[in-house]
Amino acid sequence: MSLMRSSISITWAVWKALFLREAVARLFAGRAAWVWILAEPIVHLLFLLVLFGLYLKQVVSGIDGGLFIMTGLLGFFMVQNTALRCKDAIDANAALFAYRQVLAVDTVLVRATVEAVLLLLCALVLLAGLGLLGYKVVPQNFLLVMLSFAALWLAGIGLGLVLSVGSELIPEVGKVAGILFRPLYFLSGVMYPASAISPAYRDWFLLNPLLHGIETLRAGFFPQYHVISGVSLAYLVGFAMVTVFLGLALHVRFAPRLIAQ
Amino acid sequence: MIIVDDVYKRYQCDQGLGKWVLHGVTFTIPPQVNVGLMGRNGAGKSTLLRLIGGIDTPNRGRIERRCRVSWPMGFAGGLQGSLTGRQNVKFVCRIHGHERDLPDRLRYIEDFAELGCAFDEPVKTYSSGMKSRLQFGLSLAFDFDVYISDEVTSSGDAAFNKKASEAFKQLAHRAGLIMVSHGEDTLKEFCTAGIWLHEGKAHWFDRIDDALKAYKESFSS
Repeated sequence: MSLMRSSISITWAVWKALFLREAVARLFAGRAAWVWILAEPIVHLLFLLVLFGLYLKQVVSGIDGGLFIMTGLLGFFMVQNTALRCKDAIDANAALFAYRQVLAVDTVLVRATVEAVLLLLCALVLLAGLGLLGYKVVPQNFLLVMLSFAALWLAGIGLGLVLSVGSELIPEVGKVAGILFRPLYFLSGVMYPASAISPAYRDWFLLNPLLHGIETLRAGFFPQYHVISGVSLAYLVGFAMVTVFLGLALHVRFAPRLIAQ
Repeated sequence: MIIVDDVYKRYQCDQGLGKWVLHGVTFTIPPQVNVGLMGRNGAGKSTLLRLIGGIDTPNRGRIERRCRVSWPMGFAGGLQGSLTGRQNVKFVCRIHGHERDLPDRLRYIEDFAELGCAFDEPVKTYSSGMKSRLQFGLSLAFDFDVYISDEVTSSGDAAFNKKASEAFKQLAHRAGLIMVSHGEDTLKEFCTAGIWLHEGKAHWFDRIDDALKAYKESFSS
């Protein structure tokens, strides 16, 4: 009788294989698919710069409007892209559940990793490009920047795990999630600093965990950035942990139904 | 050895739960025994194979695999349409823990499937014959103790069918086999034991002839 592999070595092999599969599908699916991964945030950024760039230069003194929006966008995309791509991970990989080694949760976690790697690469290219143009792109607190990214990513995974199960069991959940990310974009401080929110409404805005992550991301980036009181990375991490555990619990509970075709 | 212990299975339908497809199925397949699975359409043959293959779980009961069991061969799934044949093969090799000898397996499958330059084209451009060539080659490239086969022996052109049935015979010699087929001769050729699925129950026969007899009597009466 041949040797049996341990569960961990099987999972590790599946993750590696899925990672390569996802990366290939994402980067080389269509004609020059990788160009679009890079172009999407850049075009988005340019669009916002044309709209708000001049105005923002006055709002946040000492910080370039372009870099300001870019940090907000990257932080927001980290959550949105991860969550929404993870949401569709199960459907996109349905054919692979013919191999019992592949579980639904594997496809979600691997997809989240691919998204994070791609977005970080994209951020590096953007920053390098802006650096060449003479902008000051080296973060003052690199650790805080990476921590904020990690916390935002974790929140994206948590939402992705929950949404992937939700949209598989109730298709409407996926559609509603797509709609809800639109207002979230405007509520998360991508285009404005939290200090610009009227104090009367700040407590309400601060319920949104994404705002916390984007604020600390900017605090890590710009030495002169003023963070309002009440912003805490711990709040975002707490939110992320709760959703990750909820998502994993849902995956455990509904595992057979997710894989059944 | 594969132990199927009091397995129940039903599916979620549009109007609530469907009726039980498998209703208390119990049997044990000893090592190195080739088993033919028979029953009417919709009797639950494919369901049972999926359960044994581990890509679906029973509502109740337990299935234990004390050996390496293949995925159900001959299913339409298992290939990702947007990836090329080569990329699909690499993926399957990797999840089965053959990272190190991947080039060997890859070469074997490429030779066996004889797809030519289509091997580097996306699988969604393949015809059904080409797909089954690739799937069959894939499943032969790994050393499973038990192979699960859902009517794979009848696809592709004449030349490939000959090659496939040769390979299938060799396979039946070195490993166990659980197969579904409506061809009586095929079952007799490959299998020693038989399982007849009828009204949610499984009936085990040590000899395939007895199983076929019971199966045929069920619809002649």
